Amino acid sequence: MKRSLFMLLIVAVCAGFSSAAAAADVSSTVLIEEPAVWDGRVVTFTGEAVGEAMVRGDEVWLHLNDDAYAGGSIASGALPQGYNSGLAVVVDAEDARVVTVFGDYRHQGDVVEVSGVFNAACPEHGGDMDVHATGIRVVREGAVLDHAPGTSSFVLLGIAFAAAVTAVGAYLIRRPRD
Amino acid sequence: MMLRPTLEDHKVVGFYTGRIIIGVGALMVLPLSTSLLFAEWKTAIDFATGLLACLAAGFGLQALCLTHQELRRRHGLVIVSTSWVLATVLGAIPFYLSGYFGSYLDAIFDVMSGLTTTGLFLLQDLDHVPNGLNMWRFVLTFAGGQGIIVIALTALFKGVGGGIYHLYSGEGKEDRLLPNVIQTARTIWVVSLGWLLAGTAALTVSALALGQEPVRALLHGLWVFMGAFSTGGFAPQSYNTMWYHSLVFEILCVIIFVAGSLNFAVHWAVWTGSRAELRRNVELRSFAVTLGIFSLITAIGLARSGLYTDALPFVRKTLYLVLSGHTTTGFGTIYARSLVTQWGPLPMLGIIGAMIIGASSCSTAGGIKGIRVAIISKSFLQDVRRALSPESSVITSRYHHVKDRMLADDTVRTVLMITIAFLTMHAIITVAGVMAGYPVLEAGFDGVSAASNTGLSCGLTAPSMPDFLKVVYVLAMWLGRMEFLAVFALFGWIWSVVRGR
Ligand SMILES: [Zn+2]
Repeated sequence: MKRSLFMLLIVAVCAGFSSAAAAADVSSTVLIEEPAVWDGRVVTFTGEAVGEAMVRGDEVWLHLNDDAYAGGSIASGALPQGYNSGLAVVVDAEDARVVTVFGDYRHQGDVVEVSGVFNAACPEHGGDMDVHATGIRVVREGAVLDHAPGTSSFVLLGIAFAAAVTAVGAYLIRRPRD
Repeated sequence: MMLRPTLEDHKVVGFYTGRIIIGVGALMVLPLSTSLLFAEWKTAIDFATGLLACLAAGFGLQALCLTHQELRRRHGLVIVSTSWVLATVLGAIPFYLSGYFGSYLDAIFDVMSGLTTTGLFLLQDLDHVPNGLNMWRFVLTFAGGQGIIVIALTALFKGVGGGIYHLYSGEGKEDRLLPNVIQTARTIWVVSLGWLLAGTAALTVSALALGQEPVRALLHGLWVFMGAFSTGGFAPQSYNTMWYHSLVFEILCVIIFVAGSLNFAVHWAVWTGSRAELRRNVELRSFAVTLGIFSLITAIGLARSGLYTDALPFVRKTLYLVLSGHTTTGFGTIYARSLVTQWGPLPMLGIIGAMIIGASSCSTAGGIKGIRVAIISKSFLQDVRRALSPESSVITSRYHHVKDRMLADDTVRTVLMITIAFLTMHAIITVAGVMAGYPVLEAGFDGVSAASNTGLSCGLTAPSMPDFLKVVYVLAMWLGRMEFLAVFALFGWIWSVVRGR
C-alpha cells in the first residue's frame, strides 16, 4: 500500500516536471501506468538491452529494461528486487548496430538511451506499446559475467548425495528378492 | 463412516508416493542436461542436488513403507495429493538454490503454478536466468499438463493391475480412451509428442524468421510450445509473448494452446479418423458459444476505450487475450498493468468470465470446463420443458461427448457440486485479495486467474504481495487443478487419522 502510494507520487511528480520539457526522461513504469498521458509524445528512455535485436527488414526490435537489474542482474550476484520492467523499442536497423551486448545469464547488456515517439498502442505494430526511436546511443557498455559455483553449492550437493545413497541402500536391503 | 487408516494403509500411500517422487526427480534430468550443455555449472549443481533429494525421498519412502498390500480405491486420491505436495516441495529446491526467488514460498508458488499449468510466477529477473532454470519451468508446466501421475504411470508402473486406475482418475483425467489405463496414459503421450514435434518446429522456424539466433530460436520454439500446449502460460522472457511482435507467431500460439485445451478423447477421435467429433462434441459447442459471448463483452469494452483505432490490432489483441483466458493459458501480448491502465473494467470482466468457464475436461486446461456448462444448460432446459409438458410425458435430453449420452440426474448433481465449489473458491479468493488491500476488480482478476489455472495477471501477483495471499493462491491453484476431490480426500484422510474409528 505504502509502495503504491509512493509510485503514484513519483508518477505525479514526473508528469508535472516533464510536461515542460520537450523530450521527457521517463521510466517504463511511468509509461505503463499512465499511457494516455504520454501517448504520441517524444520521450527519452534509458535501459539495458536484453535478449537480442530482432531484425525485421530495415527495422529492429530492441527490448530495454530500466529495472533494478539494469545495473547488475541476479546472475551477476545482485539480490532479487522485483520483476523485470522495460519497453519494446523500434529502431532503424543501421542505427541499432551500436548495441552489441544483450543481457542474459552470461551478459550484462549495454545500457542504451533512446529518444522517440511513445505509442500507447501502436497501430503500425499490431497495437503493441512501443517507442519509435529516432536517436540511440550506448550509455554504458555491457560485460561478460562469470559464474563460479560457491562452496555452499558443493556442500548441499554432498549432503543430498549422502542422503540419496543411504535411501537407495536401505531400499535395496529391504526389497523382497524373487 | 470413515475408517481410521491402518499402518498398512499408510504404507501403501507412502510406497506409491515414493515411486511417483522418483518420477518427478527423473524430470530434473532435463534441466540438468540443459545446464551441462550450456556450461551453466552452478545451475547444474543445483539441479543435481534437487535430483538427489528426490531420490533420497523416493527411495527412503519406499524402504520405510515396503508393503504387500494392494492399492485400493481409498488410497488412490490420497497418493495423488501427497505426491503433489511432495513434488512441489522438492521441485522448489533448484528454484530456491538458484537465487532468483525471494523466499522458499515463492519457489513453491512457481512450482505449483507450473505443475497446475497456471503460469503466474514470482521468479525475479527472468530476463537474466540460465537456460537450465528456464527449462525446469517449462518441464514442470509440460509435465503438469500431462499429469505427473500419467508420467509416473507410463514410466514406472509396467504391467501393474487395475488398482492404478485409482491414481489416474485423481488428476482429473477420468476419460479412459482405451480399456487399459496404462495404454491410455501412453496414448496421451503419443498425441502430445506428435504435437510437440510439429509445434516446436513451426515456432522455431517462425522465431528464426523473426530475427532470433538459431539456438535461441530453438529454445524459444520449444519453450513457447510447452507453455502453450500445456495451457500453462510461462514464457521465456518477462515480456511474455509480446516479445515476438508478430501476427504469425501469435496465430501459431493460438493454434497450439487451443489444441492443448481440447479433451484428449477428442484428440484421440480425430487422430483415429473421426473428424465429425470436432463438430458434434458438446464441449466444443459450449466453448464456441461462451467464446462468442466473452469476446463480445471484451470487444465492447475495448471499443468504448478507443484504444485500438485500426481493425486488425483491435481483433488481434481482443481474440488473443480472450482465447488465452478462455483456454486458461495465460499468454499475453500486453503488459499486465495495461489491463487496468488501458483496457479497463469491462474487458477485464469479459476475460474473468472466460477464465471462470475454462476449456475442455480431460485436457491440460482449468476452470469449470465446457462439459459442465453444457450439462447444466441442458438440464435447465430439460426442466423448463418438463414444466410445460403434460404430466404423463417423459422428457429426456441427450448430448454428444465422444459418444451419445443420456442426461442423468446424478450426473447433473455431481456437475453442479463441482461448479458450486469452483464459484465459491472464486468468491473466497477475491475476498482474500480485497482483505490484503487490493481493489476488488484486480483481486477478482488475479484470484480467478489462479483458481482457474490461467495465469493472466493485471499486476497484483508480484513478489511483494503478502505471504498469506501467496499461500491462498497456491492452495487455489492446487484445488482448481485437482477439481477438489483429491485434495479433500487428503484432508479427510488426515481427519480420520485424528478422529476415525
Ligand atoms: Zn510501433
